[in-house]
Amino acid sequence: MTRDEIAELAAGYALGGLDAADHERFEARLAAGDPEALAALRDCEETLARLAAETPAASPPALRAAVMARLEATPRAPDLAATRGRPRRRSPWAAVWAATAAAGIAAILVGLAVSGRYERRLADLEREAAAIRREVAEQRALLALLRDAATLVVALAGQPAAPDARARILWHPREGGLLIAAGLPGPGPGKAYQLWAIVGRAAPVSAGTFGVDSAGAASVRFRPVPDVDQVDVFAVTLERAGGVPAPTGPMVLAGKT
Amino acid sequence: MEPARPAAEDTGALLARVAAGDREAFGRFYDATAALAFGLIRRIVRDSAAAEEVAQEVFLQVWRDAARYDPRRGTAEAWLVTRARSRAIDRLRAARRRERPLAGRADGPAEPAEDADAAAAAEERGRVQSALQRLPAPQRRVIELAFFEGLTQAEIAAQVGAPLGTVKTRARLGLERLRGLFAEQGDRG
Repeated sequence: MTRDEIAELAAGYALGGLDAADHERFEARLAAGDPEALAALRDCEETLARLAAETPAASPPALRAAVMARLEATPRAPDLAATRGRPRRRSPWAAVWAATAAAGIAAILVGLAVSGRYERRLADLEREAAAIRREVAEQRALLALLRDAATLVVALAGQPAAPDARARILWHPREGGLLIAAGLPGPGPGKAYQLWAIVGRAAPVSAGTFGVDSAGAASVRFRPVPDVDQVDVFAVTLERAGGVPAPTGPMVLAGKT
Repeated sequence: MEPARPAAEDTGALLARVAAGDREAFGRFYDATAALAFGLIRRIVRDSAAAEEVAQEVFLQVWRDAARYDPRRGTAEAWLVTRARSRAIDRLRAARRRERPLAGRADGPAEPAEDADAAAAAEERGRVQSALQRLPAPQRRVIELAFFEGLTQAEIAAQVGAPLGTVKTRARLGLERLRGLFAEQGDRG
């Protein structure tokens, strides 16, 4: 290729009007690092920059503000300084691929960040919804218990071992019951409170064990006691954790139905 | 080759700092080059609002791609002008695609759309003693049609009624002549 041919291609390339075949031919030379082609293109581009500079126009101040405002949201190309040592001109396709890959990676990262955020949020909502469903079920059960004519409300009084304790029991022979207690001292390590249902002179039947919160309060659901339709007395004793078959410890609460 | 615009700022060094994410350097680069880019873009798209949109895209591209600027390949101004011109031509072509069907429906021959912006730009051009005006008319025409109108060499050949080879030669001779003229200006200044 003669000097004039190279200069012609460079001029057409810089002016942006080469046909596809010429365009490819010249880019191949640039990609190969042909110094003549690079120098010719550089001369043409500098000349056109000078031509453009002949008609400057004051840009609106709002334009500057708009550009500066959008910088934050504009991802930047990875620093290609490391590749600058190469004498070769980067193929435009390399730039396209890099831009495409960068855009793809950015999209994936944004997607992951967004979906991660939404997944966490969904999990939170799911947990919240489950907690609300549990609470609604408990409230419904409680309401059903209260509405049922067979439900007994029993007040339990503190005994000498726990004079400040007090409690209420909602009790239904087939649905079980709810114990709401307050003023109980902490049971201590390895200990638990145990609720007993006493019928006549028969041996007390365990209805389960429970602990109290730091304020000494408890709100505990109890399953129905098998084979017990009618209860005369409810009592709470302090026993070892896990419960015992028959009461042995001090009585803290008691109440007649 | 002299820089495209005698600037107090070392725009190449600023671009290197922009590549490292320096917003202050970007602001200074903008201030040093906005008139150059905006003037070129408006001259090409002939509409101030569209020119602002294109200029925004161009400068955001500068922010994104500053790391791609290689000072050995040319001045920062030439790098910017190449991008600004390319985006402006894209916009111009898109506008032409939208306008053509409408012009086809017009009853009479369509008048060239010479709005206020275009008139202002023309007036501005008139005030400047452009180096282009010192070129032989055929060379000037080829450069204007290619650089400012975005026509391909084949389209120019069809429009001016000259063989493609002639258009290619005029483009080369025109740019060589311009380069000589700017070099003279540089020597004087």
